[in-house]
Amino acid sequence: MSSVDLLQTLGNKYSAEILDATDEPRSAQELSDELGIPIATCYRRIDELTEHDLLELHDNVLSDDRRRIKVYRRNVDAVCVEFDEALAVDIEERSKVTNALDEAWRTLSEG
Amino acid sequence: MVELTKTGIDGLDEILNGGIVRNSTTLVSGNPGAGKTILGLQYIYNGVELYDEKGIFLSFEENADDLQEAAESIGLENWGQHVEDGTIKVYDKQELLRENDFSSSLELLLGDLDNESYEQLVLDSLTMFQLFFDNEREQRTYLLKFTDILSENNLTTLMTNEQGTVFPETEVGLENFLTDGNIFLLQTPTESGVNRYLWVAKMRKKNIDTDIFPMEIRQGGITVHKNASAFSMMSEEDSPL
Repeated sequence: MSSVDLLQTLGNKYSAEILDATDEPRSAQELSDELGIPIATCYRRIDELTEHDLLELHDNVLSDDRRRIKVYRRNVDAVCVEFDEALAVDIEERSKVTNALDEAWRTLSEG
Repeated sequence: MVELTKTGIDGLDEILNGGIVRNSTTLVSGNPGAGKTILGLQYIYNGVELYDEKGIFLSFEENADDLQEAAESIGLENWGQHVEDGTIKVYDKQELLRENDFSSSLELLLGDLDNESYEQLVLDSLTMFQLFFDNEREQRTYLLKFTDILSENNLTTLMTNEQGTVFPETEVGLENFLTDGNIFLLQTPTESGVNRYLWVAKMRKKNIDTDIFPMEIRQGGITVHKNASAFSMMSEEDSPL
C-alpha cells in the first residue's frame, strides 16, 4: 500500500476521530453514537482503516441482547510523515507487550 | 491449610512460618547491593536442588554468564549444570531485550508457562519490566494481569524491586499493594563494612514474624538469623530506627 494511499485514508473525514476513540475496543455502533458518524460511513471508515492495519478487529463480544458484536481497537500509537528524501509514512505500532499479556490473560478468564 | 513453597534459605522459611504461599507473587525490595538478585538465585537453585521443582529466572539486568558467575561465587556450584539440563530456564538480558523486542521473548515465556512444568519464577527486576509500559495505569494493570497469569500457571514468584530510599523513610510504591507478599532487604554501612537486615512486611494468608532480622551473605548464600534479636549485633548509634 503506498504512502499516499495511507495518508488519503487517514485524511478521510472521521478517520482520525475513530483512531482517537479506539484506545479501548469499540463497536461500530458505539463509534457512530459517540462521534456522531452516520453508521454507513462508520462501517466504511472502519473497513478502510482495517485494510491499512491502522485498526484491528479485536474481539467478538456478546451484547446485552446476546448478539455477537465486532469490536475494534487501534493498532497504532503514532504516525510519522517524512518529506525529507522520498515521502515516507512511518507507523509506530501499538505495544506488542501489552497485546501479548492481554491475550494470555483473556485465555485465562475463558479457561 | 495454605500450601507453601519453601525458599530453602537458612532462617527465612522459619520467619515465613514455613515458606511462601504457593502460586503467590512476592516482591523483594531493596537498594542496589542489598542482595535481591542473590536471594532470587538461591530461591531458584534451592527449588531444584532441595525440592525437585523446576524454575525460571528472568533477568533484565544481567547476561546468563554473569548470572552463573554470581551464582557460583556464592557457592551455588551446580547452577550451570541445572541450566544445561533445563531444570533452570534462564531468560537473560540479551535474550529479553533482543532487537529491542521484549514481546517475542514474552511469547516464548508464556508458551513455556503453558507447556512446561515450572513451579518457581524470579523476575529481576520489576523495575525494568515496568519500563515496557507507557504510564502508571498500564504498569498497574499489566502487573496484575502478569501475576494472574503466573498464578494460574502454578508458579510461585519472586519479583525484585529497586528501592531508592533507605529504611525507614521507605516510599511504599503501589507495586507493594498489588503483590501478595513484601520482603525488604536493608543495609546500613558500618565502620567495618555493612550490616544487613531482612524484613517481611506482608504475606497474604499467612501469620508471619514481622520483626526485622539480621542477615548475612556469605559462601553458601544468604543466612537470616531468626534467633538473634534484631539489633543485638549493632551498637546504639548504628540503629536505623
